[in-house]
Amino acid sequence: MAVQEHIISLLVNNQPGVLSRIAGVFSSKGYNIRSLCVAETTNPDVSRITLTSRADRDFTDKIKKQLDRLVDIVSVTDLTDIPSVKRELMIIGLRIKEENRREILRAIDLFGCKIVAMDEDYLILEVTANTDKTAAILKFFEPFGVEEMNRTGAIAVFRQPSGR
Amino acid sequence: MKTIGADIVLQVLEEEGVEAIFGYPGANTLPLNDRLADSPIRHYLMRHEQAAAHAADGYARVTGKTGVCLATSGPGATNLVTGIATAYMDSTPLVAITAQVNSELWGRDAFQETDIIGITMPITKHSFMVRDPEQIASSLRSAFRLARSGRPGPVLLDIPRDILGTPDSGNERSIPENTPLPYENGEALVRIAEALNRSERPIILIGGGIKLGDACDLATAFVKKTGIPFVSTMMGIGSIISGNGYDLGFIGTHGNQLANSMIHQSDFILALGSRFTERSTSVIAKFAPLASVAQIDIDPTSIGKNIKVDFQWIGDIKDALVALSELVPPRDRSQWETRINEERALSAAKEGDDGCGEAGLLIRKIQAALPRDAIVIPDVGLNQIWTVRSWQCRSPRSLITTGGMGTMGFSLPAAIGVKIGAPEREVVTVSGDGGFLMNIQELATISSYCLPLKIVVLNNGHLGMIRQMQDLFFEARFTNCALGDTVDLVAVARGFGIPAERIPVHGNPDAAIARMKEAKGPYLVEAVIDQDTYVYPIIPPGKSNVEMISGK
Repeated sequence: MAVQEHIISLLVNNQPGVLSRIAGVFSSKGYNIRSLCVAETTNPDVSRITLTSRADRDFTDKIKKQLDRLVDIVSVTDLTDIPSVKRELMIIGLRIKEENRREILRAIDLFGCKIVAMDEDYLILEVTANTDKTAAILKFFEPFGVEEMNRTGAIAVFRQPSGR
Repeated sequence: MKTIGADIVLQVLEEEGVEAIFGYPGANTLPLNDRLADSPIRHYLMRHEQAAAHAADGYARVTGKTGVCLATSGPGATNLVTGIATAYMDSTPLVAITAQVNSELWGRDAFQETDIIGITMPITKHSFMVRDPEQIASSLRSAFRLARSGRPGPVLLDIPRDILGTPDSGNERSIPENTPLPYENGEALVRIAEALNRSERPIILIGGGIKLGDACDLATAFVKKTGIPFVSTMMGIGSIISGNGYDLGFIGTHGNQLANSMIHQSDFILALGSRFTERSTSVIAKFAPLASVAQIDIDPTSIGKNIKVDFQWIGDIKDALVALSELVPPRDRSQWETRINEERALSAAKEGDDGCGEAGLLIRKIQAALPRDAIVIPDVGLNQIWTVRSWQCRSPRSLITTGGMGTMGFSLPAAIGVKIGAPEREVVTVSGDGGFLMNIQELATISSYCLPLKIVVLNNGHLGMIRQMQDLFFEARFTNCALGDTVDLVAVARGFGIPAERIPVHGNPDAAIARMKEAKGPYLVEAVIDQDTYVYPIIPPGKSNVEMISGK
């Protein structure tokens, strides 16, 4: 079965230890979580966890069942094939030299990135895009001298309000 | 006396029908131990917390109720771990209550503090701490519901000492629960029945879920009505009374030749409450290559976990059996029956006296001397295989064993819980010298409560199964498997106040068995077994179920 990136969206009770239980389900099956985002929802008793993992469909189905069994899980949804808007935030610290300044500024404009800090030879970019695009942008800037990078991993919302 | 948190714990335990709990006190359990003195609930003082968990497990397995064990924080709680994991692997409903250090000390590496919630997360259905006295009752009720519901299993509740000792405010608060998954509809069962009716060489696979789902009678009736032969996993043994014409034995590494051969030839497997562990299937790619598989289980995560299934139904095994009984009429499968009968004759000749030698003979003699509803609790190792192969299950819940975890040292403490849960039945434990030594301190518990247990130790001076595998698969290099004969088990038992005797190798056990039978209290028989008594046939590692070997 084909291995692909799966995005799983979880609603969970906002309790100590919940994240550890979820991570435990993955680690006990020998699978790695590629990214993980957790934050409270509009209801402070409930948190949304978005996690991505590379796996085949069969494995993802099994993991979903295992997660469903946890007491503090409210819902589990595999977003991979469900219409949804997915974004991640990436911040890049980039060294700039005189000879490539123009090219960098043009690329920033073209990619729709935002400059959040800048001095003569260093700038910090904020990128918000889907994971493929953030990866492509990072790849583009790497030869210029990426000093630092941090990214959140994907978060997602359903296109339809009844999605979950 | 003011009502405190500990009183609430005991009130809920009473509500839940708990009559016995198994435990070991510590400073942090003291509020509970103190109030237990005035409670109708009997607290059995074990000699180790691991044994408390096994005893609660045994109690649950024989009564069908939820077992309860109690331990203190730190080492008390961590000692429960093996017992909890055993219950988890075999799906025993168990509530483990651990006392935690006072709330204000939590997180400071206080004396006897440990994160038992974190430790037990992977081996419980759920583990949680009560952080508020007003949540004691609802938390405990939730723990019981969770332990029993769906696929049963252990739940751990950690309660800080100060919360156990806090006066009750009377303001009980409930905690939210997740909703169980809906069962699948009956159409899936219709499709399973249709496929089963079409099949020429069907076989029913009985797993531990039949006993857990209290469906032994329904399963027996289904087999009789449809005339379909069945095989069992080790956990399924005894669900249907053995010795009838439909019983082909148990499958897997140490299973019967007949059972393994027939499931290999079958064209349809109806699996009832089994998760198809590798202990049953051996190499999955080679397992039952001709068969379509229908899996019925209450636990969605067990469906298709180990092997690919063609049909599935998630839900209560009793509902499934009632529906299937209507949908599956008996039909003529004489060719299949003929083939089974031919193989039966062939394998009987190959297996001889169950492949268990003098150990099997002894176990059969012990069973013959005891009442029909006697319960046997094998330990783990060769003794377990000898027992499950030689003991004829003549009544439900008459064989209690750890199939999933394979915990050496299980049988002696589990037998304590079994005897307390079923005082009217004879209970006999069969262990090897290795497993017996692992929880030998429980002889003190047996002695102090004068529990009339029959204790049989098959002493070959070795870790017998390890020795057999080293003999077969490691060029007979016997490393670290000899326990020697340095311990005088008879003297040790007597030291604990338990009468005991030794039966020499190849001696006549009849008189000793008679004395054990007549004993009013506990009685230990140590049978000296030849170190080369192995169990055959056996499936070598990496081989399929039909590649069993019957010797070196």
